[in-house]
Amino acid sequence: MSTQDPIRLLPRNVAARRRLGQPAAAVEIVAGNPASTRLESGVGNCFPGLECDLRNLERRFFPFLEVDDRDDTLEIVAVSSDAVRAARQAGDITADTARAYEQIAAAITPRSRPAIVSIDGVFGPLGAQVVDLTASRRQSIGRTRAPIDNWTAVRLLTEGTLVKLTVQVGRSTVEITGTRVRYLGDDGALADFFRPGELTQSLCSPWTHDFRDCGCFYWASNHPDIAQPPSPVVPSDDVAWNQLVVWERRARDASQPPGAESLAQAVGTPELEMRHHEINRRWQEFNFVVEGREQLGPYAPRRPVGTPLPDRAALIAHLQYAAAVELAVMHEYLAAAFSLPRPGTLSGLLGDDADAAHAEILRVAIGEMRHLRAVNDVLRSLQGSAYAPALRVALQVPGQTPGSTRPVEVRPATPEAIDSFIAVEAPSVSVDGYYTAILATLEAQGARAEAETIRTVMSEGADHWQSFLFVKQWLSRHSPDSYLAVSSLAQAPRNLPAQLTLQQRYGQLLTDLYDGYRLGLPQGAASINAARSLMPDEATGFAAAAWAVAAAGFLVRFDPIVDPRFAAFDPPP
Amino acid sequence: MGTVLPAAAGPDCKRFRSPRGEHVLVVPFSQIYDLPGDSAETWDADPERAARSLAELSRARPGEVPLGEVHVPAPQSLSLNVSQACNLACGYCYAGRGSFGGRQTTPMSLATALEAVDALLRDGDAAAPFTVGFLGGEPFVNRALIHKVVAYGSQRAAERGLDVRYSVTTNGTLLEEGDLELMRSHRFAVTVSIDGDSAIHDRQRPAAHAARGSWSELVARIRPLLASPGRAQVAARATITRDGLDLRRIFAALRAVGFRDIGFAPLRRAADSAGAFTAADWPRYLGELEALAREQLARLRAGEPLSFANLAIALKQLERGAASPYPCGAGGGYFSVASDGTWYACHRAIGDPAFALGTSRGLSAEARQSFLAQRHVERQTDCVRCWARYLCSGGCHQEAPARSAASCDFIRGWLEFCLAAYAEYGADFHARHSRSVA
Repeated sequence: MSTQDPIRLLPRNVAARRRLGQPAAAVEIVAGNPASTRLESGVGNCFPGLECDLRNLERRFFPFLEVDDRDDTLEIVAVSSDAVRAARQAGDITADTARAYEQIAAAITPRSRPAIVSIDGVFGPLGAQVVDLTASRRQSIGRTRAPIDNWTAVRLLTEGTLVKLTVQVGRSTVEITGTRVRYLGDDGALADFFRPGELTQSLCSPWTHDFRDCGCFYWASNHPDIAQPPSPVVPSDDVAWNQLVVWERRARDASQPPGAESLAQAVGTPELEMRHHEINRRWQEFNFVVEGREQLGPYAPRRPVGTPLPDRAALIAHLQYAAAVELAVMHEYLAAAFSLPRPGTLSGLLGDDADAAHAEILRVAIGEMRHLRAVNDVLRSLQGSAYAPALRVALQVPGQTPGSTRPVEVRPATPEAIDSFIAVEAPSVSVDGYYTAILATLEAQGARAEAETIRTVMSEGADHWQSFLFVKQWLSRHSPDSYLAVSSLAQAPRNLPAQLTLQQRYGQLLTDLYDGYRLGLPQGAASINAARSLMPDEATGFAAAAWAVAAAGFLVRFDPIVDPRFAAFDPPP
Repeated sequence: MGTVLPAAAGPDCKRFRSPRGEHVLVVPFSQIYDLPGDSAETWDADPERAARSLAELSRARPGEVPLGEVHVPAPQSLSLNVSQACNLACGYCYAGRGSFGGRQTTPMSLATALEAVDALLRDGDAAAPFTVGFLGGEPFVNRALIHKVVAYGSQRAAERGLDVRYSVTTNGTLLEEGDLELMRSHRFAVTVSIDGDSAIHDRQRPAAHAARGSWSELVARIRPLLASPGRAQVAARATITRDGLDLRRIFAALRAVGFRDIGFAPLRRAADSAGAFTAADWPRYLGELEALAREQLARLRAGEPLSFANLAIALKQLERGAASPYPCGAGGGYFSVASDGTWYACHRAIGDPAFALGTSRGLSAEARQSFLAQRHVERQTDCVRCWARYLCSGGCHQEAPARSAASCDFIRGWLEFCLAAYAEYGADFHARHSRSVA
C-alpha cells in the first residue's frame, strides 16, 4: 500500500456513516431487510402497484430517445440533443442519423409527439422481422407469429442488435437506426441514464381497499394482503399462530389463534374481509407487518451480539467446525426429505402438504450446501495458501444453550425430527448462536466482506427456521403414518445396490467439491459445477440414488468415510 | 448571519480502545470510526497520513453549519419563571427560592406569560416542535397560570397546526390530581428534583417553614404519575453534593420510588457554598459514575432498558454524532422569561443584565450575536485545545467560573468511558432504545 493511500476506516456512528456515504449495513442491520435479500426475491411484475414498473425500462430502449407507451402507441417524448451532438462529434453516429434525431426533436411539442410506426429488428425468439406498430391485430401463433402488442415488441428486441425505427413526423416519416440499448451497466447495476424515480414514476399507491381486489402474492413484502397474525401475548407452541391470515379480515380478535374464517385460503368467502367503505373507515386498525407477522406493539429487531473469539486459531477452528455442522444438518435434512413420498404420489390436502414439506426441506438442505461453500470461502480468504477445504462432518451439533451440543440424528420427517430442525435453526441459539461469535470476531478485525458473508448465512438460517415452522404446521394436519414413505430408522445394508450407488455418488460429490474449493475460482469452477450438476440429476445423479434407497424402504444416510479429508470429528473445545 | 472565528488549533481526534477493537473520534462533527487491521498502527505511527484523513473528514459538508461559525437560530423553546417563591429551602438553590436574590419579587402575570408564548410561536420555526417550560421557585405555587398557559398554547397549536410541547421542573410536593391530569394529557417533560433516599433528600431539600424534610410528601404525590404517566415523560434529577457520593445507593432509591429515567448533576457552585465539589471530589465522582454505568450496561446487555440518564444521553448523542460549539441553547434557540417579561438567555441568569437579550416585543440581534460569539467554545482559551470541546462545549455558562483542571479531567474521563461503552454496547442500546431515538 502506498503511503499516499488514505487510512482504512470503518464508520461506526451516524455522523461517520453519513460522511463516508457507506451503507449502514456495514455496521447495523436494517430491520425488515434481511442481508440475504436478493433481486429475485423482490416483488416485481409489469403492472403498477409494486416496487418497480418494468415498463419504464423500455422508455429508453433506443439511444438518445425517451419513449412513452400511451395506450399501446409508442410516442417519442424527448431527444437528448446534447448527447446526439456529442456522439456526432465523436464520430459514433453519421451526419444522416444526427439529422434524423434533429427532425424528431423538432417535431416534439406540448401538443403533439411523434409516434413510432414500425420497428425493423431482431425480436428475440421471434427472430428478425418488421413489425407494423399501427396494425390493430397481429398474428400471435405459428412460426411467423409477431409480438402481441407494441410494448411486448420493444421488450423482445435483442440487446445489442441493430434496430431501425420508422417515426411519423408530421405528414412524412423519418427512419433512424441504432443499437437496442443495454439497461444494465457492466457492473450489473441499472445504467446511468435512468434517472432516480424513473422506474417507479408510474406506480399507483397501494392503499386502502386496493388490497381487497387484487390477488395474493401481488403485494410487496411490507404491505402484504396476507400475513401471520400477531404473536400471542403468552408464547405458544400452537402452530395455529403461524398460519397466514387475511390482513383485512373482519375477525380481529387477537387473543385466540385465528379461526378458519380468517385464513388466507378462505379468500372469496363472503364476509371474510371488511367491505370497501369499512376498510377506509377502519384503516388505522390494520396492523403493521414486519418480517411477515403483524405487530401490535413496539418492534425490536433481533441483533446478533457475540463475544469475539480470543485469537485467529480459535476463529479458524470455529469456522471449520461450522462447515462440519452445515454438512451434518444437511445429512439430517436429506434423510427427512427423502423419507416423504415422491412428489405427486399422494393426493388432496395430504398430497399438497407432503409435497410442499419435501420441497421445503430439500430447499433448506440446498441452503446448507450454499452455507458450506460460504464458510469455505471465508476460510480461504483468511488462510490464504494454508487453506484446506473444510468438508469433514460433525458428530455433534450446537445445542440449545451456549457450549452445549447434541449428537447428529438421522431420521425420517417425524414431528420430533421437525421440532429438532426448528430448534437447530432458531435465531440466537444453537447454530445461529455459534455464528455470532464468528461474526463478532470478523467485525472486530474489520474483515468486512467476510463478516457480510457470515451475516448472510445467519439471515438465511432465520429463513430456514421459518420454513421449518411452516413444515410443522402443514404436517401437523395429518398423522405421520399417512405421509411417511420411510418410517424406519434402519440404514440400508451396505451391499444393497442402491445404497452402494448412493455412497459412491456422495463420495464423488465430496471429492469434486474438495478439488473445486482447493483450486478456488476460476480454476476450480469445473469441479464445482460437476458436483452441482450431479446433485439434482433424477436419472444418473445423487437425487436418483436417494430415491432408489428410499424406494427400498430405507433412510437416506451415509456410511462413515475413512478418508481423513471427509472423516467425522468432534467440536473444538 | 455567520461570523467566522479563527480556525481552531485544538486536537482534532481522540484515539480510544474498546473490547471491540481500536477506534478514533474525529472531533469535528463527532464522527466515530473503527480502525480495522493495521489501520490503528498506521494512524498512530504516521501522523501525516492521519492528518490528511482528518483534514478530509473535518470539512463541513453541504447542509452542515461549520462549527467555527456563530449561528443565531430562531427561538424554539422558552421557560417561564412563573413563581418567585418556593415551599422548600434547599441550601444549594441557584434561584434563591425563586426570588433570585431580590431580583424577581412578583409572580408572573397571565398577560406576560401569554405575550411570551405568542412571541415564541410567531418567531420560531413552525415546522419544528416548540417547547414551553415552567420554572420558578416552585412552579406549582402559581398553578392556575400553568393550566391557563397550557390551554392557551394547545389552542394556538391546534389553530395553526403547530407541535407545542411542555416541560416543568418541580419539587413535586405541591402536585394535585388536576396537575397530574394536565401532564398526562399533554406532551409534558416532567423533571422531578429528588436527591436520593429520604435521609439524603431530607437533609438537602428541607421544607421552608417547618423543621421537616420533603421526601415523603414528594413520593406520595409523584407515584400516581409514575404509575400512569399518560403522554408525560417523567425524569428524576438528583443534585449530587460532595457529602453524598454513593451513586448506586441513590440510583437504587430512585428506582424503588418508580423512576425509570434517573440523572445526576454534580453541585459545582452552591448558594450556601456547602456541599459544592472540590478538586479532590471529581475523581471519586467519576469512579462512582463508572461503577454504576458498568452495572447498568450489564443489565442493558441482558435486555433491560437503560434508566441511567447520564449514560443513556451520552450513548444517544455519540450514536448521532452530536457536535456543538454551545453546551445548551441559551441565547440561541432557548430563552427564559422573568416575571417582569424580560427575556434572559438562561433561567439561571434571571436579573443578570449580561444575559438580558430582549422582551416579548423583540430580541436584540446585536446582543444575541455578541452573547453567542463570546461564549463560542473556540473562544474559551482552556477549551480550544481540548478534544472534548464539541461534546462538552465548555459546560454551563453559569458554572464556567467554577471550571477547574480537575472538573475538566472529570469530563474527559467520563467521555472516554462513554466512547468505549458506545463502541462496545452501542448496538444493544440502539436495539433497545431506537424508537425513543427516532
